[in-house]
Amino acid sequence: MASKILIPIDFHVESLNTLKLAMNHLETYEVDVVLMYAEDLDNSITELLFYNPKKIIESHRTNEFDEAISILKNRFETRIRSISYAIFHGYRVRLIEDFMKSKEIDDIYLPKSYQLQMPKKGFDPIPLIKKSKLHYKELDWEAGVYDSEELQLNALFIY
Amino acid sequence: MKTQLKIALVLILTNVIMLLLLGGSIYYFLYNYSYTDFYKRLETRAKISAKYNYDADKIDAQSFKKIRDENLEKLSEERDYRFEVKSEDDLSIIAQKTTLPLGFLKEILNKAKSTLQVNETFYTGIRYNSNDRQYIVIVSAKNYYASHHLIFMRNIILVAFFLIVIFITSLSFYFSKHIFDPIKNITDSVRQISTDNIHQRIEEKYNDNEISQLISTFNDLLNRLETAFETQKNFVSNASHEFGTPLTSIMGEAEVMLMKERTPEEYQQSLNSILGQAERLNQITQTLLYLAQTGYSNKKVNFEILRTDELLWQAKGIIDKLNPKNNIIIDFSLLPENPFKLKVMGNKQLLSLAFTNLLSNACKYSNNKPVNVSIASSDNQVFLIIKDQGIGIPESEMQFIYDPFFRASNTRHFEGYGIGLPLSRNIIKIHNGLLFVSSVVNEGTTVQIKLPLANIQKY
Repeated sequence: MASKILIPIDFHVESLNTLKLAMNHLETYEVDVVLMYAEDLDNSITELLFYNPKKIIESHRTNEFDEAISILKNRFETRIRSISYAIFHGYRVRLIEDFMKSKEIDDIYLPKSYQLQMPKKGFDPIPLIKKSKLHYKELDWEAGVYDSEELQLNALFIY
Repeated sequence: MKTQLKIALVLILTNVIMLLLLGGSIYYFLYNYSYTDFYKRLETRAKISAKYNYDADKIDAQSFKKIRDENLEKLSEERDYRFEVKSEDDLSIIAQKTTLPLGFLKEILNKAKSTLQVNETFYTGIRYNSNDRQYIVIVSAKNYYASHHLIFMRNIILVAFFLIVIFITSLSFYFSKHIFDPIKNITDSVRQISTDNIHQRIEEKYNDNEISQLISTFNDLLNRLETAFETQKNFVSNASHEFGTPLTSIMGEAEVMLMKERTPEEYQQSLNSILGQAERLNQITQTLLYLAQTGYSNKKVNFEILRTDELLWQAKGIIDKLNPKNNIIIDFSLLPENPFKLKVMGNKQLLSLAFTNLLSNACKYSNNKPVNVSIASSDNQVFLIIKDQGIGIPESEMQFIYDPFFRASNTRHFEGYGIGLPLSRNIIKIHNGLLFVSSVVNEGTTVQIKLPLANIQKY
């Protein structure tokens, strides 16, 4: 049996710590991971016409972020069955509940003290999740300061 | 030839050629058009004239004439010639009468239509058959339009041409002179920079054009040059200091001993201390030699497949022997499940030397506080993170930490001579890896090493 978990991300390596820590709390051995990124949907007609979720994800991914994901994949090679991305648009509690239902998410893991540092247009979905009736678990680690791009990866190596 | 002049000449030449083509073709085509058009007008008049003279009955003839007089513009020096031609012999009589060339008349008769130009007068003649008789009708006129309008237009084109050429010439010279102004400025300011004032920079303009890119490239180059100069200066002063200290103490020891007669124990003690200093000197030269060897990559190094976690344990073993009080914690929380993801191509001695150096630095500068070592691997790299809680490196000195013999200002109380880090970095570089150091004073230093994974088959 595999479960499906959802982790909100901001495309900074540090937000992946939630996933790293979540692996210790899982009830099942195998897991499918959905990385959720929340963004405001532009309401201009041209933006909507050329709407492409893949490209949005692509534009935010950095080398360090991809490296960090592949580190985690290698660490849990037999446990992580898949890692996929999902974009969430919307501000309403009902919407996020429906979103979870449609993605068939079993568990939601949120960072406790780490504040998501969303890129431009993105917004932090955690308050919305907390407001909803969804069940979630919070994980905590000591947040650090990782300014330069090369050192961002250090964020994953916390103790 | 200067580039400036070249650009100006090319600009002028292309513009003049284009102008000439434009003006010339306008004049040429209009000239041609005005002639064919004029001949056509004359032909129409000849036809009308033939019609009302030979063909129509009297009333029609009157109205034809009236229409012609009322509606057709009178051409300058317009004249009609009408002749009845019974045989070809009549033509020579007509030619004599009208002073028209015989060939022209013959052509009218044979081809039913012909044109002729004598000086400024144009002739169009047609053959006309009516009531079994044959006539030749010729209309002649001066082409006022061609002779006046065309000349007027030619003059306009010529004047405009010369005006535009003058304008283009001055503009081209101005343009070619001033487009190189920024480059000339750069040349001037770079010329002023020498080894004495290498800290000077060219003033940067913050827009994204080629010139500012050139300026920032120059400034980058100067930055690197300045760092290189600085490194060299630092190296000389640091190296002489490092070599000087043991030598001074050897000399001092020997001088004190030679002052008066000593007991054998005192000699022994002093020789021991001299030996210690000499050993230290030897060690410095040894590591320096290592540094020089690793610095030049032309020397062949033997590579084999190694497991990074094994190397790490080995390095920890060495540190345990040298410094039993160390507190190194190896963290395997991100260790990949697949051991193939830990294998790199490398030289065992060198990599082990680098890891030992880095680990002993971490222990030394943190007074044996915990040192965390993590190991992880992505799909093509192995990551090693060595994190201590030591004294850190001041931010202003970060740029010099890879200089041989450089020691940060807060390391006075620690033994060492500043070769370990540059040596480790050289070793990692030989392995096509990367080494980053980040540090906060009094909080600790983190060293990140990236080594490329060995390209081996899984089975």
